[in-house]
Amino acid sequence: MRAFRALPYAVCVLALVVTGGCSSSSPDPGSSGAGGVVSTGSVKRLAVTITGTTVTPAPAQVDLPLGSTLELVVTSDHDDELHAHGFDVEEALKSGVPTTLRLTGKEPGSYEVETHEPALTLLTVAVR
Amino acid sequence: MALTAPQLAPGLIPGLAPGLVPAHGVGSRGDLPLPFTALVIAAVAALVISFVAIGTLWREPRLRDTDGVLLPRPVAALLDSRSLRAVARALAAVLTVWTLVALVLGPDSARNPVPHVVYVWLWVGLAFSSMLLGPVWRVINPVRALHAGLLRLARVSPDLAALPYRWGLWPAALGLGTFTWVELVAENNTSLGFLQLLVGGFFAVSLLGSAVFGRTWFDHADPFEAWSRLLGLLSPLGRRHDGRWVLRTPLHGVNGLRGQRGLVPTVAVMLGGTAYDGFSANLSWSTFVQTSPVSSSLLKTATLLTFFGLVAVTIWLASVVSVRLSGEPFARSFTFVSDIAPSLIPIAGGYVVAHYWSLWVYQGQYAWRLLTDPLGTGADLLGTAGLVPNDALIQPTLVATIQAVSIVVGHLLGVLAAHERAITVLDRRAAVVGQVPLMVVMILYTLGGLTILFAP
Ligand SMILES: [Cu+2]
Repeated sequence: MRAFRALPYAVCVLALVVTGGCSSSSPDPGSSGAGGVVSTGSVKRLAVTITGTTVTPAPAQVDLPLGSTLELVVTSDHDDELHAHGFDVEEALKSGVPTTLRLTGKEPGSYEVETHEPALTLLTVAVR
Repeated sequence: MALTAPQLAPGLIPGLAPGLVPAHGVGSRGDLPLPFTALVIAAVAALVISFVAIGTLWREPRLRDTDGVLLPRPVAALLDSRSLRAVARALAAVLTVWTLVALVLGPDSARNPVPHVVYVWLWVGLAFSSMLLGPVWRVINPVRALHAGLLRLARVSPDLAALPYRWGLWPAALGLGTFTWVELVAENNTSLGFLQLLVGGFFAVSLLGSAVFGRTWFDHADPFEAWSRLLGLLSPLGRRHDGRWVLRTPLHGVNGLRGQRGLVPTVAVMLGGTAYDGFSANLSWSTFVQTSPVSSSLLKTATLLTFFGLVAVTIWLASVVSVRLSGEPFARSFTFVSDIAPSLIPIAGGYVVAHYWSLWVYQGQYAWRLLTDPLGTGADLLGTAGLVPNDALIQPTLVATIQAVSIVVGHLLGVLAAHERAITVLDRRAAVVGQVPLMVVMILYTLGGLTILFAP
């Protein structure tokens, strides 16, 4: 019976280690070190290439301050539909032709940018 | 929540202004990841609550069905009045018919209101209104009303049944699991054809079930009645032992639920499904799914089932350890797991609030813009075509606070409910030790839930 008195403490330590491990292994949401993002003033630029089902750079969260604009250039190796959720922007993608989306953050939240054929998530835009 | 695209992308339909039409049926906006500070504060709070609870909580069963603050007579009379119930039923019937019209005759595009009605109002809205008011679906369930109406037309007893019903909540668990799969995994789940099949199938199964087993079907087997009844236990409104309306703690409702067949799988689906919803929004997960050679539907289905299974297996393991610690036989774990399953309902409720708050308070308003034009003809029957959803309730700091607080409060209530149940059903000397395994599992769920909200 006495041994079990210590159990809650052991659990706490274990849990702290678990959460600590989780937090250090996930990317810090506060910075937008997402690969390939170039900032100029209030405009951010990012080029994304799609080869089959592979997205380069790998899908990541891109931070976008309220009111700033993300210029997203997407080139795919097949015809597709490009869709920026919540920005209500949808464009046809032609194989090999770069398509530019201009996304301006108006409402805080997290928004997915994706293609439909096949369904791929390219990145999420975190507007804050 | 991520729902897949309808086949017709409305932005590409000539004649529709793309700026006004979201290309998906539901949920184009997600919440920002939980800030690290909120994660740490909530995790520490949950841990402190847990081990303070072990040492200091009451030692004798304390929650009684005679507890509660009586509601003033006029309020109680209003709640019991036939007219209030009739009005609620009529409104639900009107909304149902309206939705069915849009389902059959409306456009197959994001302008159709059906996905919002099904995935936001019915699923999420029902959860929130039940947690506030109690098991409201029992009162307004249009299929229940249809069944009762048909029996009345046929001039037979409302209790008419061909066979006795004996599966407890199992069919509800299956139904809730299926709905969760439809919502989170199925492709084209906002397309009209899919929704016609879904709603038509649900009506067919419900009418068949109630024809064979009578209205007991709705009390036990109906997934939405179970969803509303179990989350409704958390409502501060309730009836005490003599049937009078009282205000009481969510613990009283939860404690009043007895173990029954199928309760464990039902709770596992409620908790596992919400957790999977949050988890599947994680970018590393979607990257893994879309680059994997295995079909993504298969991968998602297997993962969703794993989430259900993980919840069921972990609470059963906890109950095995509990009964062994209290010196009872292994076989006792199967009844004990059912005894303690109700205490996971507050945790499930906390998950639901944390994950669906912004969907409900934001996308729930958006539904009015679509309902006003059920046939996609440009009509404005309700005058809500120009409604701009109010965003005051989805400000990031508010959302993060609500998420962290609801998870921690769910955890606190879960720990208290488990404690009360443990000292009630276990031998007194063993009760304190006996609840530790369950608390460990609850801590894992809570930390897991917080981590899911935190990871981008
Ligand atoms: Cu899309």
